[in-house]
Amino acid sequence: MDQLVEAREAPERTTEKGWEPRIVAMVCNWCTYAGADMAGTARRVYAPSVRIVRFLCTGRIDPLFIVKAFEQGADGVVVSGCHPGDCHYVQGNLLARRRFTVFQALMDFLGLDRRRLHFAWISASEGVKWSRIVDEATAAVREAGPLRHWGRPVKGNSSAQPLLPDTDAGIAPRDPPSAEENQLITGHLQELVTNLLSDGTVSTVIGYTAGSLPQQMVPLFVNEPRDASTLGWNEHCANNLVIYLPQVLKKNRDAKIGLVTKSCDARALIPLIREGQLRREQIVLLGIPCRGMWNQGKMAAKCYSCSEEVSPFTDWTITPEGTKKGSLTSAERRQVSPDPRDREIASLGSFLPEERWDYWQRQFDRCLRCYACRAVCPLCYCATCISDKNRPQWIPTTIDGKGNMAWNVVRAMHLAGRCIGCDECARVCPAGIRLDLLNRGLVQEIERRFDFCSHVNPESSPPLTTFQPDDPDEFI
Amino acid sequence: MEREGWRLSDKEWREWVEALLRAGKLVIAPVKENDLLLFRHVLMADEISVSDQGKAQWSPKEFLFPRSEPLLIYRLRGAEVDLEEPKADEREQVLVGLRPCDAAGLSRLDDIFLLEEQDPSYAQRKKHTTIVSLACDRAEPECFCTAVGGSPAGTQGSDLLLLPLDDGWILRVLTPKGKELVAGWAARWRPALAEDWDRTEERRSAVENSIQLSPLSAQWGTALEKSFGHPLWESLGQRCLGCGICAYVCPSCSCFDINDEGNSFCGTRCRSWDSCAFARFTLHASGHNPRPTQPSRYRQRVLHKFAYFPDQHEGRFMCVGCGRCLRLCPVGIDIHHTVERAASAASPEEERP
Ligand code: SF4
Ligand code: SF4
Ligand code: SF4
Ligand code: SF4
Repeated sequence: MDQLVEAREAPERTTEKGWEPRIVAMVCNWCTYAGADMAGTARRVYAPSVRIVRFLCTGRIDPLFIVKAFEQGADGVVVSGCHPGDCHYVQGNLLARRRFTVFQALMDFLGLDRRRLHFAWISASEGVKWSRIVDEATAAVREAGPLRHWGRPVKGNSSAQPLLPDTDAGIAPRDPPSAEENQLITGHLQELVTNLLSDGTVSTVIGYTAGSLPQQMVPLFVNEPRDASTLGWNEHCANNLVIYLPQVLKKNRDAKIGLVTKSCDARALIPLIREGQLRREQIVLLGIPCRGMWNQGKMAAKCYSCSEEVSPFTDWTITPEGTKKGSLTSAERRQVSPDPRDREIASLGSFLPEERWDYWQRQFDRCLRCYACRAVCPLCYCATCISDKNRPQWIPTTIDGKGNMAWNVVRAMHLAGRCIGCDECARVCPAGIRLDLLNRGLVQEIERRFDFCSHVNPESSPPLTTFQPDDPDEFI
Repeated sequence: MEREGWRLSDKEWREWVEALLRAGKLVIAPVKENDLLLFRHVLMADEISVSDQGKAQWSPKEFLFPRSEPLLIYRLRGAEVDLEEPKADEREQVLVGLRPCDAAGLSRLDDIFLLEEQDPSYAQRKKHTTIVSLACDRAEPECFCTAVGGSPAGTQGSDLLLLPLDDGWILRVLTPKGKELVAGWAARWRPALAEDWDRTEERRSAVENSIQLSPLSAQWGTALEKSFGHPLWESLGQRCLGCGICAYVCPSCSCFDINDEGNSFCGTRCRSWDSCAFARFTLHASGHNPRPTQPSRYRQRVLHKFAYFPDQHEGRFMCVGCGRCLRLCPVGIDIHHTVERAASAASPEEERP
C-alpha cells in the first residue's frame, strides 16, 4: 500500500484552492489493471488523481481496505474488477459483489456522500471505459470536495442535530407478567433444574439470579442441584446467556449444558450451528414464555414485534402452570406491534446524507472502545478479533474518531447476515450508541436483497459466503 | 480549612461560570446528550445540567487523562528520525459539576501520575485545571462512597464545592486555587450564614444514612491478598466478559497502553486507555499469559484497588464508590460485594469483617 503511504506523506492541503482530489483505486490484476494498462499504452489522457492498488482479485478486497483508504486521507475510492462471469478465479468477483452491496448499503445508511465511492466492472480490453470511470469519479469527488469528516462530526454543536422520533410513542407495550406468574415460573424452573442436574442430563445450567441493584437480574452458573434454588425469573432477565456456551465448551468439549432462554436469545444458536460452533445436542434449552423485557419502566424495543413466546427449538417449556417437554405450540401467533425502530430508521433515511453522517459521527465519537458490544455478542466468538490484530493494525487502537469509525463500521460488516437482533450490544453500550439501528438496517437490507434471515435455517448458507450469478448490482 | 463560602442563587453561580467562559477559560460540565449525562465542553453556562440528579455516565477523567493522547510525533528522513513533542495545551480549564466521588477519583489519578515520578502531560493539565464539585442531594442505588471513606459532600480533590439548599446553593472554597477562581466575585456575594451551613450538614447526613452498604476497612487488604488462591475467585469472576466498561467509566482506573499510529515513514506514538479485564492486557509476545482466565483478570482488578494500592498509599482504596462499574457492567458484577465475599472467605471465622 505504498500509494497510501505516499498519500499520507503529502503535505496537508488546508485550502480549497489548489486542492486536487486524492482517489484510491482498488483493482483486480487480471481485468481492470490490464485495462488501465491499456489506457496507458494507448496514451489516453485521463485525470491523474488516482492511485492504483492492485489485488489479485476483487474477492480479496475487504471493505476494511476501503475504510482504511478513507481513514488515511483518500477523498474517494474506486473499486473495480472483471465483469461477472469473467473472473480469473471463477467466482471471486461474485462473492465480492455481495460484500460490496452490503458495504455500499452500510455507507449509505451512515450517510457517506455517494460521490466518494465508486464500483465498476472493467475488462482488460476496456481501456476507454477505465479512463471514463476515472474521469467521472474524479469529477464527482472534485464536486464533493475534500473529505474532512471521516471520524469527525460535520456540524459544530449537537443541538443542530435533527432528532429521531420518540421510540415507542403511540405504540402500546404488552402487559408485563404479574409477580405471581414470575414466582410460579421460578418455582417450576428450580425444580426442573434440580432434576436435570441430579439425573445427569446436564452438567451445568446457566440461568439468572437477582443482582445487587433493584430490578437487576444477572447470569448465574449452577453446577450442583442444591444451588438451583438461587435461580430466578422475571421481566428483567435481559442477558443473552448463549454467550457463555463457548467458554463452558472450551473447558469440556462434551459438556451438556442447560440454558435458560427467551425466544430471541435462542435464535443465536442457529447461526452458531450454521458456522460449526456447536452441536445442537449439547444444549438443553429451557424456554420460558416471554412477554417482553422491561427496564426502567420501558419495554425493550425488540419485544414489540416479537411473535414467538418460546423458541420452537425449546426442549422444555416452563409456564406458570408447570413444566412441559418440548416447545409450547400455541395455535395462534400472538398479536404484535410494529417495531418502533422502523420509524427511527425511516426518519434517518429521510435526513440529508450529510445530516445522517453527522448523526453517526456524533454517535461514534462517544465510543470508548470498551468492546462490550463484542463481549456480549453471541456471534462475536473469534479467538482473535480483527481489532486485536496488529500486524497490520487494521483498526487503530487509538480511541478517537477514526479508530471508532473503523471499529464500528467493521464490526457492523462482520455481523452482516449473521446478527440475530438480540440487541445486547445496544443494551450494554455505555455510550448509548444506537447499534440496534445499525444492525437492524443491515438485517433489513440483507433480507430485502438476498431473502436471507440469519435465525431461520441452520442449513442455509450465510449470504456473504455465497452468491447468485444474477445478484442485483445496480450500484456498480 | 475554615468554612468559607457564599450563599448563591442558581442564576448567580451561572453568571460566574459565564464570566469564566468570557475570560477564555475552558469549562467542562455535565450536559444532556441523547438521554445520557456526559461531561462536555460547554459554550454557555445554561447548558450545564445540575438539576438532573445523579452522576454523569462516565467520570470526567478524560479531561486530565485523555482516552488517547500523543506522546511524540516521528518522521523518518532517510536514516534520520525527527522527533517532535506534541504541543502542550496551556489553556486554563475549569471542571464544573463533578460529584464528590469523581473529584476523589481524580485525586487517585494524582497518586498515580504525580506522587513519585511526575507524568509531564498529566502534570501540565492538572496545573491548569480547577475543580468545582457538586455535593449530592440523593444517593443512587449503586452509590457506596461512604463505604470507602468518601461522602456525598466530600471535599477530596475539589477546589470549590457547590452544596445544594432548598432555594439555592452554597459555594464553598476549599483551596487557594479555588479562591483564585472566585477572586473579584466574593465581594458581591452574600457570605453563607451559620444556619445555611447547618442545613447542608443535615442534608449530608441524610444522604449518608441512605447509603446502606457496610464500610470496607483498609485491614481487609491483607485478607484479600490471602484470598489470592481461594477457589471462590473462580465463581466470583466466572460471569465477567472481559469488556472494558468497568475500567473506562471508573474515575480512578489509570491503566494505559502505548501504541503507534502511523507507518514506516511518519506517525504518532500514543498513549491510550487500557483495561486489566482484556485478555491482551498481560499477553506476552511469547503467547504466554500470566493471567490466563477471566476470573484471574477480574481478581487483579479487585486486588489492585483494595489490596495493592492501599498498601502503597496509606490505606487509600483505589475505588471511590461511585458504583458505575456495577451499574454499567453488562452482567452486573458488584465490586463491593466481591470484596466482602473474598475477604471473609479468606479470614478465619472470628476475624471476619
Ligand atoms: S459497547 Fe459502545 S462504547 Fe463500547 S466499544 Fe462498543 S460501541 Fe464503543
Ligand atoms: S450484533 Fe448485537 S444484536 Fe446482533 S447478535 Fe450481536 S449482540 Fe445481538
Ligand atoms: S466486570 Fe463487567 S464491566 Fe468489567 S470487564 Fe467484566 S463484564 Fe466487563
Ligand atoms: S471501581 Fe467501580 S465503584 Fe469504584 S470508583 Fe471505579 S467505577 Fe466507581
